[in-house]
Amino acid sequence: MSNAMRTPAGAINVERYQGAVAEGRFRRLWNANAPGYLFLLPWLIGFFGLTLGPALISLYLSFTDFDMLQSPRWVGIANYVRIATADPKFSAAMHVTLTYVVFSVPFKLTFALLVAMALNRGLRGLPIYRAIFYLPSLLGGSVAIAVLWRQLFASDGLVNAALSHFGIEGPSWISHPNYSIYTLVALSVWQFGSPMIIFLAGLRQIPQDMYEAASLDGASKFRQFYKITLPLLTPVIFFNAVVQTIEAFKAFTPAFIISGGTGGPINSTLFYTLYLYQEAFGNFRMGYASALAWILVVIIAIFTAFSFLTSRYWVHYDD
Amino acid sequence: MTLRVSRRNFVAGGATLLSLSALGTSALAQEKRLRLLWWGSQPRADRTNKVSQLYQSKNSGTSITGEFLGWGDYWPRLATQVAGRNAPDVIQMDYRYIVQYARRGALAPLESYMPAKLNLDDFDKAQIEGGSVDGHLYGVSLGANSAATVLNTTAFKEAGVDLPTQATTWEEFARMGAEITKAGKRKGMFGMADGSGGEPLFENWLRQRGKALYTADGKIAFGVDDASEWYDMWAKFREAGACVPADVQALDKNDIDTNTVSLGKSAAGFAHSNQFVAYQAMNKDKLALTNYMRIKADSKGGHYRKPSMFFSVSAQSQAVDLAVDYVNFFVKNPEAAVLLDVERGIPESSAMREVVAAKLDENGKVPLEYVSGLGDLAGKLPPPPPAGAGEGELMLRNIAEQVAFGQLSPADGGKQLVTEITQILARG
Repeated sequence: MSNAMRTPAGAINVERYQGAVAEGRFRRLWNANAPGYLFLLPWLIGFFGLTLGPALISLYLSFTDFDMLQSPRWVGIANYVRIATADPKFSAAMHVTLTYVVFSVPFKLTFALLVAMALNRGLRGLPIYRAIFYLPSLLGGSVAIAVLWRQLFASDGLVNAALSHFGIEGPSWISHPNYSIYTLVALSVWQFGSPMIIFLAGLRQIPQDMYEAASLDGASKFRQFYKITLPLLTPVIFFNAVVQTIEAFKAFTPAFIISGGTGGPINSTLFYTLYLYQEAFGNFRMGYASALAWILVVIIAIFTAFSFLTSRYWVHYDD
Repeated sequence: MTLRVSRRNFVAGGATLLSLSALGTSALAQEKRLRLLWWGSQPRADRTNKVSQLYQSKNSGTSITGEFLGWGDYWPRLATQVAGRNAPDVIQMDYRYIVQYARRGALAPLESYMPAKLNLDDFDKAQIEGGSVDGHLYGVSLGANSAATVLNTTAFKEAGVDLPTQATTWEEFARMGAEITKAGKRKGMFGMADGSGGEPLFENWLRQRGKALYTADGKIAFGVDDASEWYDMWAKFREAGACVPADVQALDKNDIDTNTVSLGKSAAGFAHSNQFVAYQAMNKDKLALTNYMRIKADSKGGHYRKPSMFFSVSAQSQAVDLAVDYVNFFVKNPEAAVLLDVERGIPESSAMREVVAAKLDENGKVPLEYVSGLGDLAGKLPPPPPAGAGEGELMLRNIAEQVAFGQLSPADGGKQLVTEITQILARG
């Protein structure tokens, strides 16, 4: 092999020469990086076996009629056609999910930023507060949350008890079709831990001397926030917004736990993923559910691409 | 130091690992192993595991592993395992799904094991039928139950209202409910749950009118008039304050914990008889069971004794013989019967029923006496529901909620229910 490379260029088979170079390069790369790949192996196996593989299979299944017990039957684009033209539950679920995204993401980010700023004022025992504020996020979507939320938002719950002091008699928020989605938004806002941690790290990055200079010039706290904190924080806000939007689109457990998997009352908490789950595992329409899943992927991709395209107008990278 | 693994070594190592795991499976297959899967709560799991231990102690060399989930998580798990060719040997099966699983070849037919290995001689014939699909036996009933009204007797007494009897009609019951609500002895407690979205209730009511939910060939078996009248009846109950308002009923997630009786929001609710012990365990007041109300004083046949659940054997099982033997033990061994009690319903075998009845406590006797005392209220077991029935049930509830929240009139609700269910059934 190495002999071939030493012979004068004109005398050798070019294809073989290139092949040998490629092989040599590959070998060199392999020798240099083998340990790295070896250490990556668990992740690679996981990625190809548990993420990419199933994703591709679901793409195939989205063109089939598959009830999980019998073999899939090819139906072409019939599933997609039905979703686009003859599925009222699809539009209902889309509406619920968009409402959730539009309300939960801004509120959650605002709340997370406020808490992060409060914690950033050099408190003693910061790690403890940080841990406490992160706690709700760890509880995620457990049955305990379903019980807690009922205690808060049912007709005789804490919220109504508080409202009654002002002479307001509230409905059972959690089980009323007009309000139930907002109790889920409240749950999402309450679980503000992970964007808060990221905001906190972002706030720490802002050089203190900027604030000092600003106060010497007589800038008010509000002006400092508006002119220094916010612009310098935009990369972090952007990151949090993208991540939280994707998370909100994918939200499943809150509605599943709180509505008992029905998406009720009257489909008011029928998140897109919950509808997908009902179709897949409740009604054994794995093919149709796969098509729903791929449409969600496309929607999330469009939203994310849109965020990145607009980001150049408002995100400041201070390089 | 660099770590170097040559491709040859890598392949050789991999092959060794693979062959080792193959060895593992063949070695395990020789041992007698059974996998069980069921839905239910921890107390059910404790009883089931005790029966498995008993079986293992009597059959050395067998090992039985059991796994259980809640109802909602159970069906996805089972479907995934069956699709992945990894089904458990013994599967707890419901009347709603048995046709689907049997017709799609997931279950093993068991009639050839009768009567030598699977002895169901002293079973109620209709209950054996309930586990049959297209002339083959695919499920052995683990107990009988029937739909039932749960009454909080303490709340009735406090309000000075007599308990309903077997002769009580819906109209009379609604009057009692309104009285309890009006008496207002407990804050936020109404007479009864809003049953307009409850499938067993609707089915019972239809059967008393000589109709049904579905025909034997999986078509809709009621009309717009029936459905509209049903929604209208409950709209009147709601108006009269006999039942809970819409936003309270919507708290009910169709399980024991969130039933309005358990939440203390109604004095009467709707459930299944085998759940009685669990309901009583959740409630400080004394509960009782009674039938669903009659539509007229002389109407009958709304109820039926239903196999509460089955054990089926997977068609993929490597140990069908052993699985059948275990199932037979489960329903016919007196020691097992005592361990299982009436938690899964009333034993189908008359011999086991006697064994269990002798040992029942006060609460355990309630469902037993209720089911055996149904009399002319009980009729024939309806055919197993078609594939879209689960969706149909959600639809009944969804439209009931739209009517209750005032988004639809009862008449339009009835129309929509029939249209939607017809579409669901056509789609399959």
